[in-house]
Amino acid sequence: MEQETAEELYLSFAGIFQRPRPDIARHLEELIDLWAQEIPSSEKVIGELRDFCRAFPAGEARENALWGEYIPLFETGHVEAPPYASVYLDGEGLVLGREAEEVRNFYLSSGYGLGSEQGELPDHLGVELEFLALLAGTGSWDAAQSFRQKHLLPFLRVILPKIRATERPVYSQAAELLTSWQLGQC
Amino acid sequence: MQRRQFLKGALYGTGGTLVALSGLGAATTALNPRRVAAAVPVSRKTVYSSCEMCRNQCPIAVKVENGKVVKIDGNPNDSAFGGVICARGNSGPSLLYDPERIKKPMIRTGERGSGKFKEVSWDEAYTYIAQKLKAVQEQYGGEAVAQTSHIGPYDAFFQTIGKAIGSPNLFSHEATCPMARIIGLNTTFGTAAINADYANTKYLLVVGRNFFEGIHVAQTRAVAKALSQGTKMVVLDPRFSVLAAKGEWLPIKGTTDLAFMMALANVLIDEKLYDEEFIKQYTVGFDKWAAQVKDKTPAWAAKETGISQDTIIRVARELAQAKPHSLIEYGWRTTFTADDFQLRRAIMIVNMMLGNFEVPGGYYQVKDAGSLKKVPAMAAYAKKLGPIKAPSFPKPKKGRIDGTGEKGTPRQLTPIADGAVGQITETILTGKPYPIKAWLVHRFNPVMSIGDTEKTLAAIKRLDLLVTCDLYMSDTAYYSDVVLPECTYLERTEQVFDMSGLTPKYVLRQQAVDPVYPDTKPAWQIYKELGEKMGYGQYFPYKDIDDYVERQLAPTGISRKVFAKKGLWTPAGMKPFYVRSSDAKASLTLLATKSKKIEIFSDAVQEATGDGVPVYVQYPQPGEGEFRLIEGKVAVHTNVGTHNVPVLHELMPENTLWINAKSAAKLGLKTGDAIVISAGKYEHKGTANVTEGIRPDTVFCYHGFGQISPQLTRAFGKGINDNKLIPDQLGLVGNSITSMTFVKVRKA
Repeated sequence: MEQETAEELYLSFAGIFQRPRPDIARHLEELIDLWAQEIPSSEKVIGELRDFCRAFPAGEARENALWGEYIPLFETGHVEAPPYASVYLDGEGLVLGREAEEVRNFYLSSGYGLGSEQGELPDHLGVELEFLALLAGTGSWDAAQSFRQKHLLPFLRVILPKIRATERPVYSQAAELLTSWQLGQC
Repeated sequence: MQRRQFLKGALYGTGGTLVALSGLGAATTALNPRRVAAAVPVSRKTVYSSCEMCRNQCPIAVKVENGKVVKIDGNPNDSAFGGVICARGNSGPSLLYDPERIKKPMIRTGERGSGKFKEVSWDEAYTYIAQKLKAVQEQYGGEAVAQTSHIGPYDAFFQTIGKAIGSPNLFSHEATCPMARIIGLNTTFGTAAINADYANTKYLLVVGRNFFEGIHVAQTRAVAKALSQGTKMVVLDPRFSVLAAKGEWLPIKGTTDLAFMMALANVLIDEKLYDEEFIKQYTVGFDKWAAQVKDKTPAWAAKETGISQDTIIRVARELAQAKPHSLIEYGWRTTFTADDFQLRRAIMIVNMMLGNFEVPGGYYQVKDAGSLKKVPAMAAYAKKLGPIKAPSFPKPKKGRIDGTGEKGTPRQLTPIADGAVGQITETILTGKPYPIKAWLVHRFNPVMSIGDTEKTLAAIKRLDLLVTCDLYMSDTAYYSDVVLPECTYLERTEQVFDMSGLTPKYVLRQQAVDPVYPDTKPAWQIYKELGEKMGYGQYFPYKDIDDYVERQLAPTGISRKVFAKKGLWTPAGMKPFYVRSSDAKASLTLLATKSKKIEIFSDAVQEATGDGVPVYVQYPQPGEGEFRLIEGKVAVHTNVGTHNVPVLHELMPENTLWINAKSAAKLGLKTGDAIVISAGKYEHKGTANVTEGIRPDTVFCYHGFGQISPQLTRAFGKGINDNKLIPDQLGLVGNSITSMTFVKVRKA
C-alpha cells in the first residue's frame, strides 16, 4: 500500500474513533468512499454506512446520532468498549496502566507527544491510529511496523470484536473495515 | 488529493491529539513540558491529602509514582487515624482510573431518561445552564431553583450559585442521615459539635449504629481499642450486626429505642444511681424529665421493646457503675421514626444523668478555634481561619418550601443549611407551596436517596432543568439535562477544613496527580466559572483555590508548607483536654444554649413541638405476615456512591434480604431463593439470606444496591433498591423516615 493511502486510512479511522466532531461528521461520505475504494469489504458494510448518511444528512442531527452511539460505546457510564488499550492489556480493567505508559514513551521516542488541547490519554484507539498516520506520512516504516506489532494489533484484536458486537451504526461497520484492513479478516 | 487535505487539516491541525516534538510531523506545536516530565521514569512522592470515598474526609497519604497514584495509606501524621484507611479509602486508584467515569460535560439530546447525550465544551454547558436558569428565574422567581448536595467542601462554591440567584431552597443530604442527631444536640447543648471519647469509655451502649460496617476510621479504631481494653459493649439492634457480634446483642423491636432510654432513666432515678451533682450544676429541666419517665418502668419498657425488664435494669446499673466513663452512643443515621430527634435528646439526657460530659470516656465539646477562645488558658491555641469576603447575597423573596425556620412549628428546629430534602419531590409534583422548576445537584443522588424512587423520577420529568455534577453517570445524572464531570479528590486541591476534636485540627485536601481525564474540573472551578457566566462573579472573589487557601490561612500565621509536609495542622504543644477531667465542678463555658446550661427541657423544642422533654410515641409494629424493613451500611460501600467503583463492586456486587430462620420457614424460603419484596405500592425482586441474626418481625438489606442507571455498568440492577420500597415520608423536623416501612415477602 502506498504511503499516502496508508496515511489516509489511518487518519480516517483515527477521525472516526475519536470523539464525534462536526468536520468528521460532515465529511463522513468521503471517508466511506475512501474505505470502499481501498479496503476489500462487503457491499453490505458500505451500504449500511451509506444508509446512515442518508438517514442522518450532514448537520446537527448526524452529530447527535454519532454522539448517541459514541457515548455508550466508548465514553461514559455503560461503556461497551472502553477505547483505552490499558483497560484490556494490563489485566486490571483500568486506564493509564503500563500499556499507556509504554505507548506514550514510544511516541516520545519517535518525536511526538500528546497535545494538551484535546486532553486524551495516549492509548486511546483514535490516538494510536493518528500516531500511525503520522509515521506513515513521514515514511517511518520501521517505527510504524514496530508500534503496530507491539501495541496496535494486540489492542485491535480485543477491542474490534467488542465494537463489532455492539452493532452500533457507523462504529461497528468502521470496526469491521478496520478488522479487514489490519487483521486481515472480516 | 482533496480528501487527504481534509483529513490532514482535521486531524493535524487544531483538532489533532499528537503534536510533534521536533518537527517530524505536520504539527509544530511545542509539547506540553508537564507531559514530557511525566514520561521520565521513576519519580516517587507522597502527597498528604484527605479521602473522599465517604463524607468523613480521613487524612491520607497518597503514594505517587511517575505521576500515577499507586497506593493510598492513612496519614501517619494523624494519631487519631494512625496511618490507617478503610477498604473504600484503599480503592481510590480504582475510581481514579476507571474508564466509566464521566469525562466531558454533556447535554441531553434524547428524551429525559433515554440516556442520549452529546459532549459539549464547558462554555457551552455553562451557557446552556445559565440561559435555562435565567428563564426559570424570570418566569417563576429565584426560589423556583432548588439545590442539593451530599455535604462537603464543594458547598462553599455550589451553594453560592443558589444564594446568588436568591433561592432559599438549598438542601444537604443530612435529613436522610444524621440530622435528627444534629437537632438533638443543638437543642440540648446549643451546638452539634459534640464528640464521644469511645477509646476511653468503660461501658458502651450502642443504639442501632454499626461502627464496624458504617466505618468512620478514627471512631471505629477508638471503639476497637476500647473493646480490646475490656470495655463492655451492649448493642440495641433488631439485627445481629458485625458490631453486635463483638458485644451483647439486644434484639430490640424497631422504633422502641426511646422506651428503652426512658426506662433506663426511670431505673437511674428510682435507684438513685444518676449523677445528681452534675444534673444540678449543669442542666435545666430535669424535674420535667423525671416526671415524664416516672411511669416508664422496666416492666412497661419490656412490653414495648421486647427486651426483658431484668436486662433493662441490669444495663442501667452497669452504666451507672461505670459512670462517668460510660457512654450511650448518640447514633449516626438517625432516621428511625418521625420524632427521632427526641430519641437523640433522650440518649443525651441519660448520658448527662451519668455525668459523662467533658470527662475521659464520655462526651466532649469539640475544641475548635472558635470554642477555645472561651477557655482563657487555651485561647492562645485558637487560630481562626480567615473569611472569604464577598458581597451579601440577595434576600430570598419567599420562605423555604419545607418550612424550615418557621417559628412555632417543628421545622423551626431544622438546620437552615440542611433542610428537609425529601420535600423537593413533593413540591415539584404538587407545586405547593410554590413551583420548583430547576434542580441543581452536586455529588448527591436523589433518585436513590430520597424515599420512593418512582416518585422522584416522576418529579424529575416535571422540571425545566436538572443539572447533575458527579464522577459517574449516576441514577440522577442519567435523567439530567446537563451532566458536569467533577474530577476526583485525588485530582484537586480544596479549601482548608476543620477536623477538630480534643484539640484544633485543620486538614487540606491536596491534588496528588493531574486530572486523568483533562476535561474534568474541581467543584470550586466549575461553580466559579458558572457564576461568572451568570454575572455573579462578585460572589467568587478569589482567583483560584490557592488564593482561597491563602486567604484562609493569612490571619492564622499557619504556613501552607505545614500541609505539604504533614497534611494537617494541630497546635504545637497543646494536649487534649476535657474541661472536667481534673475539676468535676469546672465551669462549662463552651455551652452555647441560651440558658448556658444543658437543656434537658428545651424552650425551643417546647415552642416547636409542645414537648420540651422527650415524650414516648408508640409506633405501629408489623402485623401478621408483615416485616419491618430496615437497612444499613456495609464496610466496602458508601451510601449510593461507590457501587460502581471496580474494586469495591468486586468486593460486594449485590445485597440480599436478611430474614429470620423461623419466618423463612413459614414462607418456605431458604438462603439463595429468589423472592419478591412487596411494600404494597411497589415490589422488588431479591434474594433471601436466611439467618438467626435478625428479629422474626424484621427484614434487612444493605443500602445503595439495585441502581437504575443503565450506564452504571457494574452496579446496574444488581440487588435490592431499598429506596424503591421506602416511601418519601418526612418526620417532624423534616428527617426522612426509613425504619417504618412494612413489607411482605414471598417466593418468586
